[in-house]
Amino acid sequence: MESGWANDHLQVIRTLMERAAVYRRALAPTTLVTGGIGAAAALVGWLARIESPRGFALFWIAVSVVAICGALWVMRSQALKDKEPFWSPPTRRVTQALLPPLVAGLVAALLVVLPQGAPPARVWWLPPIWMVLYGCALHAAGFFMARGIKLFGWGFMVLGCACAVAVRLRMGADGLPALGNAHWLMGATFGGLHLAYGAYLYLTEKGKNAA
Amino acid sequence: MNPEPFLQLDRVIHEKGRLGIMSLLAASPQLAFTELRDTLNMTDGNITAHLRTLQESGYVAVTKSFQGGRPLTTFALTAPGRKAFASYIDLLEQIVQQSRGEK
Repeated sequence: MESGWANDHLQVIRTLMERAAVYRRALAPTTLVTGGIGAAAALVGWLARIESPRGFALFWIAVSVVAICGALWVMRSQALKDKEPFWSPPTRRVTQALLPPLVAGLVAALLVVLPQGAPPARVWWLPPIWMVLYGCALHAAGFFMARGIKLFGWGFMVLGCACAVAVRLRMGADGLPALGNAHWLMGATFGGLHLAYGAYLYLTEKGKNAA
Repeated sequence: MNPEPFLQLDRVIHEKGRLGIMSLLAASPQLAFTELRDTLNMTDGNITAHLRTLQESGYVAVTKSFQGGRPLTTFALTAPGRKAFASYIDLLEQIVQQSRGEK
């Protein structure tokens, strides 16, 4: 008797149980906190006139660390509230899925800004690269979370590609705007998109359980 | 291969849709109707039929309440349901192990 189906059943059970555990995590507050940090950081970056390539990259790396800590804090609070373990196998899987593209984003930032004498305009490539990589990270995590996360990831990837095309076109034409404007691009995407998705989740989940 | 474990598999749980519902509920204290439906990508009619079968078997309990003035229907595994699900997994593992032993 073939037992491949039994293995498949066990795999389906494992996947669904993991998805159920992550599914209920506070997605709406997590995305709202992340978006809020992103939007606030854009304002700070613009007001503080962080306009050097190295300053821009280091500032946004620091913002991403703060945003990740904020998201983890919200998730931990939710786990404590529900009396569930925070660092559970599903959480580990989601983290493992997120990490490679995020590390690639960090490496990209270092490669762009560390070489001495690199043209300042080069830093304009960072926002689209980060958007695409962040979209990849969300898409990978979406295999263990609600399906909407995958679509959210696709949104970032498409937007990142569009921004990359825009940067390329502007480089060849009338030149790129001042780097201060890149803070607004970051705020609109990493801040605005998260806030919009978080608000959507918040509003829809309020009435979602009705049946 | 000994067919005994296969014959003992609970036919109520063995169906793909119901297995999905049982798996999700086994990992959560309770889940709302829409959470189950959306996670499993099933239609309202399909998941309702499966939930009714599981309820009739005594594996799933339903709770109806109100949240923000709107009706809220949640489902949870009963003690017999949890036991049946654990037995089902044990049998699947036995089948897999038997198969490995034969190779």
